[in-house]
Amino acid sequence: MNSNPLPVNSSRLGGCTLTGALSVTSRICDAATIVHGPKGCSHHNFSLLHATWLDNDEVLLPDLVSTGLTEQDIVFGGESALRTALDKAAGRDVKAVFVLSTCIVETIGDDVEAVCEQEYGIPVIHIPTAGFLGGTFQDGVNNALITLAGSADPCALINGVNIIGEMNLEYEVAENYAEIARLLGCLGLPVSLRFVHDIPFDRISRLGAAQLNLLRNPALVPVGQYLEERFGTPFIPSFPHGLSDTIAFLESVARCCGIDGHKAVERERALQTEMIAAFGDLHGSRATLGNTWPGLEGLVAAEELAGVLGISPNGGGEIRLPVSPAVGTAGLRRMLHRWRRAIHA
Amino acid sequence: MKQIALYGKGGIGKSTTSANLSVALSVRDLSVLQIGCDPKRDSTRMLMQGQFIPTVMDLVRTRGEDALSLKDIVFTGYNGIRCVEAGGPEPGVGCAGRGIIATFHLLEKFGALAGDVIVYDVLGDVVCGGFAMPMREGYAQEIYLVTSGELMSLYAANNICKAIQRLSSRVKSRCRLAGVICNARGQPREEELVIEFSRRVNSTMVQYIPRAHVVQQAEVNQQTVIEYSPDSAQAEVYRSLAGRVMENTRLSIPTPLETDELESLAREFI
Repeated sequence: MNSNPLPVNSSRLGGCTLTGALSVTSRICDAATIVHGPKGCSHHNFSLLHATWLDNDEVLLPDLVSTGLTEQDIVFGGESALRTALDKAAGRDVKAVFVLSTCIVETIGDDVEAVCEQEYGIPVIHIPTAGFLGGTFQDGVNNALITLAGSADPCALINGVNIIGEMNLEYEVAENYAEIARLLGCLGLPVSLRFVHDIPFDRISRLGAAQLNLLRNPALVPVGQYLEERFGTPFIPSFPHGLSDTIAFLESVARCCGIDGHKAVERERALQTEMIAAFGDLHGSRATLGNTWPGLEGLVAAEELAGVLGISPNGGGEIRLPVSPAVGTAGLRRMLHRWRRAIHA
Repeated sequence: MKQIALYGKGGIGKSTTSANLSVALSVRDLSVLQIGCDPKRDSTRMLMQGQFIPTVMDLVRTRGEDALSLKDIVFTGYNGIRCVEAGGPEPGVGCAGRGIIATFHLLEKFGALAGDVIVYDVLGDVVCGGFAMPMREGYAQEIYLVTSGELMSLYAANNICKAIQRLSSRVKSRCRLAGVICNARGQPREEELVIEFSRRVNSTMVQYIPRAHVVQQAEVNQQTVIEYSPDSAQAEVYRSLAGRVMENTRLSIPTPLETDELESLAREFI
């Protein structure tokens, strides 16, 4: 039996398992997701996804279907409501249906797996996501990715890198991806698959084709390990945070893919030097790095940057660090623009 | 209004005892409501000439709550006794406990909980919060345990004592143990054992009901004993039970036994 720890902070990553899984399945563009539970579970997540995407200038509606369980379904069992929803969803123009369970259906013991195993004419994939079993948002993400990966078979290798577990609900998801794609491009490596961000369902079958899996953050290591076991693909556990970490990232990607990365590293160093020079006006200023949000890697990256820029870490006003640590050199540049505003304010 | 609930191990004779008690109360000119709180839905059968009445949960499911009224869920049986069956899911699916809670809300909404005496006949073990519903505030205040002298039956009764103890510690709770009814299976020294068990859990045995063939005879004729054979000694036992229930003022917070205490108690009377 699991015990669910109380949230120690308000980080979304510590939240509901269901939301975590939905942040993945809702970005498969030709599939529907059934949330098997009361309508509120779907409504809450629908608004959360919609509002978050809107913040990122994406006007999209997640394709969520609720089985709309009422007290009557709880008393008599919710399996027939799920069957009805599945028949309906499978009759639409979708390539797959994901079925996510909620706390109440796991409590009353609906056999969701058995209902999903029936024939609906399209793939029906069950992802157990009841939050009260102790999982977090991150577990929901990981479970969803691992379950989806289970639908792909090993295939021939191509020249390319998979991006695993992008944080689809973070504000800079597009910018962070663009930066990673740029860094890989410096090494002549194309992105093979964004697993999962705006891909059609059948693209998941190409999951095993990449030379390397690049995880968004170390919390995804269990997913990286699963993929390594299943397809033999090595992985790098995180997007890079900070000046030297970005250089080290280029070197380790090059090493993993058997590429000579010296030229790319040299060019990146030059780019970083140019960037530091462009923010020379910050030299000698004082600022305290706020550490409300970032984990250690965010703080380490910011301290390194402040040191290189000659910003004195004591005294002066507080400069807030981004909620998720800046990614790559471009991420640092965006952060520096915010620092400049704060310091000159 | 007196509200009592009968709890005990499955198959121990709660429904037979409840139905006969309801009849014995009704012949004292009391207005009686018997509510079966078990998905098996057979609590009130002997009061309804062997008929299974539609359950509250089935009616909600087939007709919808809005289409229902009091007269759809309450059925009048032998001697004017009003009968309700909560019902619930088929075995193996859904949540029977929630079915009991939903039924109680509906009974409240319809103002069904009225009359001189309400008898709640509840499923064997208090397996979850739903089956403790009859013990909650505003419902049964007097809990009777139905048990034989068999260890497993005493074990179930002892577990119910734990539930009563737990609930009675709540501030507004008025739920108390009112007594133990011994529905004997005919083992030696059974009455003594149940008297001693009752004493140890801080209660009393209010009635000893001997094993009697007439109970089965009445049942196959789809009647209660009092209806089938009003002059029998067994009928008198149920009338006596009704008298004691109405006069009973000894309500207690039970002191459940540890399992080893219970086992050694049973050994003493073997």
